[in-house]
Order: sequence, then structure tokens, then C-alpha cells
Amino acid sequence: MIISTQKELKEILKTLKEDSIFIIGCGKCATKLHVGGETEVLEMKNRLAKAGKTIAGWTVLSSACNISSWEEVLSLNPGIGRSAALLIMSCGGGVSVISKLSEKQTYPALDTESLGGIGGEIQKEQCGMCGECTIWKYGGICPVARCPKGLLNGPCGGAVEGKCEVDERKCAWDEIYDRLKKLGKLSHLEFIHTPRNHAKKLGRKKN
Amino acid sequence: MNFREKLDSGKFIITAELSPPKGTDLKSMLKDAELIKDITDAVNVTDNQRAVMRMSPLAACGILKSKGYETIMHLTCRDRNRLALQSELLGAYALGIRNILVMSGDHPVKGDHEGAKPVYDLDSVQLLGLIRELNKGYDFSGNRLEGKTDFCAGGVTNTELNEVSLIKLHKKIRMDASFIQTQAVFDAELFSGFMKKINQTRPKRIKIFAGIIPLKSEKNALFLNKNIAGIKVPENLVARMRRAKNPEALGIEIAAELIRDLRDICDGVHIMPIGDHGNTKKILEMADIL
Repeated sequence: MIISTQKELKEILKTLKEDSIFIIGCGKCATKLHVGGETEVLEMKNRLAKAGKTIAGWTVLSSACNISSWEEVLSLNPGIGRSAALLIMSCGGGVSVISKLSEKQTYPALDTESLGGIGGEIQKEQCGMCGECTIWKYGGICPVARCPKGLLNGPCGGAVEGKCEVDERKCAWDEIYDRLKKLGKLSHLEFIHTPRNHAKKLGRKKN
Repeated sequence: MNFREKLDSGKFIITAELSPPKGTDLKSMLKDAELIKDITDAVNVTDNQRAVMRMSPLAACGILKSKGYETIMHLTCRDRNRLALQSELLGAYALGIRNILVMSGDHPVKGDHEGAKPVYDLDSVQLLGLIRELNKGYDFSGNRLEGKTDFCAGGVTNTELNEVSLIKLHKKIRMDASFIQTQAVFDAELFSGFMKKINQTRPKRIKIFAGIIPLKSEKNALFLNKNIAGIKVPENLVARMRRAKNPEALGIEIAAELIRDLRDICDGVHIMPIGDHGNTKKILEMADIL
């Protein structure tokens, strides 16, 4: 799941110079996270109307990043054609896909933060999307995503009483240690990990 | 004798820390350096410590080297990718810098350029591995170098270590670190526990230097406890500082006491004063080192 948060309205209004706006929400992650589902789209519609904008219409696509026929979207939502700009309440993936298909001015209503999930509660930053997954070596906890320094060989000296030096999160390496201990795999901590191959992330080099 | 030869000789090593200037004016750094020139085995030059932007340690070390100092150049993983780290190291070697202290580096959000991109392309273990390759005559991609390096590389550690941190320290040793400098020590007994732990596995050639920060005041002790990871000034020292008529003088005395206590259990000390080195000579004299 892509973790996004809503931008503040004043920030959205600063960029949104066009008058006639069509709002598009997303039925997947943004709905689950309550940042771009039907409820939030309708709220946005009211807030924009209050700020003096004309709302040409709104819809919540089943998935903003997976559109098989834009013609179908257009025929179901004639307001899109009439609008001067689209306000997209999805992650950056959805904004990009819709920008390409619509060839219209689009604006993001959300800030895309990380790849995570919901397991009881929202879990941000669970995967570093590095293109060479070795999460099994770390007890299923991704150090690229969970450690703000992405350290692969163990913790830095910055944590105080188990708390990361960067913010309120727990030190990812304490979590990795605890998990490996539970799994009976503490020997994994002895691996010397080589640096990441960033060419893989770019998908330009496959070896 | 150069620094590496001194390490091998078994001499009790004294190093002290200098900060490059925030700006281009070298006067105060050089004045501070003068205070420790004849009493240290090498001077450490910090690399944007606490993520606060300063002059590059490469430039500062080059200048100090030209004035006859043996330097230990700090090199963090925070600001440079593997290309920049290698260029920096080759440049340092060409300028006569022979000793490198490797660390992850405080995250940019801790410093004065909060929005900077945190690089951490390598971690400290991998950076030690990179230096080992340069010393063998190869770059990190395995290309042969025209002229290899011969660095004496070290790493850092806190002294209160959980198991996962201890494993990382061992990885640094496995990557051929020649010396380890510790975060500031304030409790010789706890430090002795740390030494016992690592003595179980460390080869004797790996030297351990204990960090020393002379306290300035009670407020300063409380600040360290609250803000600097890995530092714990025990309550009895805080109380002594509180009661002191002249806290700075007591700070000097405590630092000297610690050095005397640590002398037989580790291989050297690393002095990191808050402010300048005005008291460093006195501390070493009181500790019967000079």
C-alpha cells in the first residue's frame, strides 16, 4: 500500500489557479487510508466550493494508477472535458497515470510518503523499494526503509534508550534484533552486507 | 614515529579533536591546534560534526599537515556517495593524510541544514571495507589504482552496547579497523566492563582509545546527558559539579582522574573539549601523562 497524506487546503489553493475543477479520488490505498476516498472527495468539493471554485464534477476511480480505458472514464464523467484542471486525490502513481492519459493540467491533493501497509494500524515506511529485496536477512524488517540512514550492517550510535536519533520511532535495528531472536536466527546479524546496487533500483542494469 | 608506528609500539596514545572553521578564517582552529601540537600523537579533525556545516576536514587536514601535524581525518557516510568518498580518500592520501576515522555521521535533521539529502550510500562497516580495497590498490569496483593508499583506518563506538551494536563493532574489526575511538567516558568501572567484553574477541593489534570530555559545569553535564547519544555522566559527578566553587577546575580534575583510571585498561585517550584546548595540557599533566 502506498502511504499518502492530504496536503493542507491553503497549499492546494496556492497552486490551483484554474477556476473549474474536476476532483478524482482513488478506491484503493487513498480510500483505505481515508485521504482520497469518496468521503474525502466530497469534503474537498465542499471546501473548494467555499473557497470560490467551480466544481465541474467528481469521481472516485476504482484505482487511479490502473486505468484500462480513459475513454470510458471520460464518457462516464463528462465534467472532466469541461474542467480546466483535475485535482487528483491519489498517490503520485495515480497522478502520473492520469496526467499522461488526460493530457490536462493536474494537481496533486496528497503527498506520497512511502510504501507501507495496514496491519491493525497504519504502518508507514515498510519497504525501501530498492529493487534487490533481501528482507529475509533482517527478520522481515527492511532496514532501507525503517532506518533513516538505511544502515545495512547494524545500528549507528545515535539511538537513545532504543529511540531513533531522527524522530520518535524505535531503532529499526533493535526491532531487527528482537525479531531475529524470536525466529532463532541471530546468526544473520553476523552477515557483512555489501552496499546496495542503485543501478538495480533504476531498472537500467539487471546484473 | 608516525601514528601507525606509535600504535604498534604499544605507547599510550593521546589524540585530541579539532573542528574546522565555519567559514574560511583558519585563525582560531590553528590557534587551538598550537595548544595541542606537542602533547598529542595525532589530532582528529571532525567532518561536519553533529551535521553542522563547516570547512571540509580534507582541506583542514591538508593545512595542518603542511604545518607539521599528524592528523586523523574524520570521514562520515552522511554526505558523500562511494565516488565522492573514494575521491576524497585519494586526495587525502596525496596530501599526506594517513589516518582516517570512519563513522555513519549524525543525520542531517540534527544539524543546521535540516532538509539536506542524507546520503549513507555506504555504512561505516562498508566504508572500512572500501579503505581496505584502496590500501590493496583497487577501487570499490575492482579497478586497479595508479598508486595505492596506505591508510591507518579506525572506527567509533559507544561504550554501553547492546548485543546488536557489539556485533557491529566486531564487523568493524573484521574489516581491518586498526583503532576504535569511543564516545566520552565518565565512569571508569563501566568502561572496564566494556573493555572486558571486547577483549574477549579483539586481536591485540586493535587499539581502543577512550573519549574524554572535560566537564565545564553542572548545566553542561546535564546537557550532555540529555542531548548526546551514548554519553552518561553519572549522578555523583553531576552532584560534584553542582557543589563545585570552580566547576571548570573540577571538570579538569575529573578528566585527569578518569585518564589515570583508564590508563591501565585501554590503549589511549581522545580528548574532545567543549570549546578550545586551553585546559588540555593541564589535564594531561595532572593525569601524569606529560
